[in-house]
Formats: sequence, structure tokens, C-alpha cells
Amino acid sequence: MTMLIDAMRVLIAVNLVLLGVLLAIWVRNFAQFRSKHTFGLTLFAAFLLGESALALYLFAFHPVLAPWVADATLVPRPAQIAMVSLRVLELVAVGFLVWITWD
Amino acid sequence: MEAALWYVLTGTRGGPNRARILWTLRQRPRNANQLAETLDLHYETVRHHLDVLQDNDVVTRGGEGYGAVYLPSERVRQQWDVVESILGEVDIEPERDEQAGTDTGVDTDP
Repeated sequence: MTMLIDAMRVLIAVNLVLLGVLLAIWVRNFAQFRSKHTFGLTLFAAFLLGESALALYLFAFHPVLAPWVADATLVPRPAQIAMVSLRVLELVAVGFLVWITWD
Repeated sequence: MEAALWYVLTGTRGGPNRARILWTLRQRPRNANQLAETLDLHYETVRHHLDVLQDNDVVTRGGEGYGAVYLPSERVRQQWDVVESILGEVDIEPERDEQAGTDTGVDTDP
């Protein structure tokens, strides 16, 4: 039963796209304003995007870790639920940030 | 106030255009139509930005109806130095062109 793990992989990918949107907006604004604030926002988006990119690689593409994380005997259901929950919370957080930033 | 102000002006997708609008309104109050013309933006875009700026108490509306003019809010006028530091590097072309034109006119006349 790896449906939860598949869901986690999709959520990470969606977060990655949303963070890409934020990064694009903030890089453009930084290019225009050159302020400490826009620089900080750009770095924040860049590092959180890096976190999601690394997570997607480790949990979906890494030759050892990806099959391991999808093996229910190695990662039982409570652990799967925990891993998905973290990504759901991240999606809500980043989603709202995109909502106010897209304005 | 300051945090909301800089996010609305520099953190969002429409921030740079909102900054141009605020800068233009500082020169003199204008209505949405005049802003659209001065800044070469669509009327609907200007309307949207004015709503966001008004929502965040950055600009206030003077008068009622279709031709109502907008001006920087009392709070923003009181801390205009903050706004200037936020907008320090923003490229506000139409206004800058106008000023550059006047400057050279003054310089070459005498």
C-alpha cells in the first residue's frame, strides 16, 4: 500500500511548482527594487524550493531511498501518514503565500 | 503598517506597478483613467491596484463616483520617508522622463 507515499510525492511536486511561482515573482521584484526585503524573500523561496527539490529527488528518484520509502514493511502506515501530513501543511502554508503574492 | 506597506509594494506580483501608481499620486492626485494614461496601464489593472492600495490604507479616495481622484493616505504621507526608502530603486519611467525633460529644459535655458 504505497498510495500515501504516491500522494506525498505529488504534494512535494505541487509545492515545488508553487515555490517556483513565488521565486519568479520575487526575483523579478528584486531585480527592480534591489532592497533587503526583496532579497530576503528571494532567498527564502530559493532555499525552500531547494528543500522540496531535494525531498522529491530523495523520495521519488533516489535509487536506494525511493524504493525503500515506498516499501510498507520498512515504512509502516503511521510513518507514511506523518510524512504526508507534513507536506499537506506545507502546501497550505505555501498556497496562502502564493494567494496573497499573486495579487 | 510598514511591513504591510513594503509587502504590498515590493513582495507581490503587482507590487512594482502599485509602487509606480503611489509615486504618481504623490506628484498630484489623479483618477483611475488619468493614472492608466500616465502609466500606460489598462484601466482595469489600475482599478485593481487602487482597490488593493485602498484596502491596505495606502491611498484614499477623494470624492465619489466615476471620476473620483486618489491620493496617498494620511498614514503614508506621514511616513513618506519610509515609502521613499522602499521605492528607492524602482523604475518609474513616465515620471522620471517628465522630470528629466524639465531638468534639461531648465539647464539649457540660461
